[in-house]
Amino acid sequence: MLSLIYPVEPRAVLGTPRSVETNVPSLCVHTRLIDEVFEWKIQYSLELVREMGATTIVEFFPWAYIERSPGNFHWEQADRIIRHAQNQGLKIIARMGFVPEWARHDESTNSTLNYLPADRYDHFADFVARFAQRYQNSVSHVIIWNEPNLSFEWGYRPVSAVEYTDLLRVVYPAVKASSPETIILAGALAPTLEPANSPHGLNDLIYLEQMYKAGAADYFDGIAVHTYGLQAPPTDEPDAGVLNYRRVELLVEIMKKFGDGHKPVYITETGWNDHPRWTHAVRPSQRAAFTVESIDFARKHWPWLNKHCLWAFRYPAPTLSYPDYFTLVTPDFQRKPIYYAIQAYARGTEDTYIPWLPPPTP
Amino acid sequence: MNLNTRTRITLIVVGISFLGLGLWLQGSILENGVSTPEEAFAHGEIRIGIDGSYPPFAIDINSELTGIDIELGKALAQHLNMPVRFINMGFDGLYDALISDRVDLLIAALIYDPARTRDVLYTQPYYDNGLVLLSNPERGILSPERLAGHKLALEYGSSADSMAQRWLRRFEPFKILPYERPLYALASLRLGQADAALVDATSYFIYQREQQNWRVTFQYVTHAPYVMAVHIDKQDTLKLVNQALSELKKTGIVDAILQQWLGTAASFAESD
Repeated sequence: MLSLIYPVEPRAVLGTPRSVETNVPSLCVHTRLIDEVFEWKIQYSLELVREMGATTIVEFFPWAYIERSPGNFHWEQADRIIRHAQNQGLKIIARMGFVPEWARHDESTNSTLNYLPADRYDHFADFVARFAQRYQNSVSHVIIWNEPNLSFEWGYRPVSAVEYTDLLRVVYPAVKASSPETIILAGALAPTLEPANSPHGLNDLIYLEQMYKAGAADYFDGIAVHTYGLQAPPTDEPDAGVLNYRRVELLVEIMKKFGDGHKPVYITETGWNDHPRWTHAVRPSQRAAFTVESIDFARKHWPWLNKHCLWAFRYPAPTLSYPDYFTLVTPDFQRKPIYYAIQAYARGTEDTYIPWLPPPTP
Repeated sequence: MNLNTRTRITLIVVGISFLGLGLWLQGSILENGVSTPEEAFAHGEIRIGIDGSYPPFAIDINSELTGIDIELGKALAQHLNMPVRFINMGFDGLYDALISDRVDLLIAALIYDPARTRDVLYTQPYYDNGLVLLSNPERGILSPERLAGHKLALEYGSSADSMAQRWLRRFEPFKILPYERPLYALASLRLGQADAALVDATSYFIYQREQQNWRVTFQYVTHAPYVMAVHIDKQDTLKLVNQALSELKKTGIVDAILQQWLGTAASFAESD
């Protein structure tokens, strides 16, 4: 009956391989394709990413989606995304996480997808190693976990840089053994001011220090970080007591302090939000301007930065809340002004596209 | 076999109605057990997860939480004669907090999300933040068919914009006036530069409260019901919260809270 209601979706046939034309090789976006149902939407999203001038995507490849029961792997959606990204000439950074139910403890029936018991680290490492080997010719980087310094991202347990370092200690050699060229990124650390013993998480600066003290330096090739501008412009000075775009400079100082300043930094989430009522949002025109300024600032001042990935390109469905206002393209592929502003910057042309009318006056 | 648009829409509506009935039945079937509030909220208080960055639903002003969701939470707790504690967290952590038993209830301007129904149970709705089509009373443009040849103001790139683009494919042509903000779209209508406006209900209610002399008519054209959520295993809690919500609606308390924050009593009726 549904086939009578809905027209047949377009097919997604691979075309001639494309390459990205851009003046900004570091430009990258975090996509949300793993939950996209239609293959043509995956393909079209990635076409738009390429046309915007981004060279790279960050995409989430959840362990829970792929190894649904022990040893039973479902690679179809990952294959699909990677095939189309490669066809568009895009590089891929894979974010790894989400624990399948079978890998959580029996007694933790209330555990979340972010709950990884220590005695399952080797299972997770096996999965990441298998992933890295399968895609060694197409996925250059893997990020081990997401925002481990936030309690809810650590399975709503107290966060622990020591435990996270233990995880890196198990994953790193496993991946290197199966795919020596894969670059392993630690993090990605969330920007937060949470003090020690907070139930919500731990300040990213303190957490990174604790990672180094726990011996993490030997178990990652680069660091992934998240940095958000909130309501401040991107040029605001960094300050340990403030969350702003340049907070990442303080993380780099810590890396240098521990003799790790030679490692590259990957901003795998950044951006501004332009919801009309969210308390941390700016206006849409400000958002576009701040975002372009931030890319420009990073290119001129941060030689250690490898990739600058914006959150988020497009959601497969609207949240009907303020997260929708982080995206560059709507679920039905309407490109927002920020998309054109970034595209113009990446092409080295002037952005003259103003899609809206001036505020009405009497 | 080709079906015209009207038939397709009818079939979709019928399908959604069956889905809704099924969900309602599921909720009713699950609501067999009867507990006291003390049994349903075993921690001796109602722990409510909220997102205090989203006015007018919840906002943290000088460490004081306030807003529609906060007032509703307090009213529920008072009705159930239980202490209440609000736990303020970001949007991303809400559902995980419920699943991992950090909170008993989410009241956070949540939309019903079918993808979450393996983990949570949703209550009846308490507010509708769907899109509203507005026009001056003398024009009476309250449906997309009546937009033909007129100017429609909206926020560029919003869900209203997506809806208008779909209307343009189905109905007679009209002109879109895109603005940077929903309040500009409303101002355009108020100043007579647009014939109609399409915005989310909350934007309209807030604007109308500030422009009390402005006479305008509106019609919901989509529905985005705000619901509360409890853990999938907490059928008794769901029943208690639904009963309390029904009572708060009947006694006008939900409407009074909405009136206070939005200048309108626009709650979902119990039968909705």
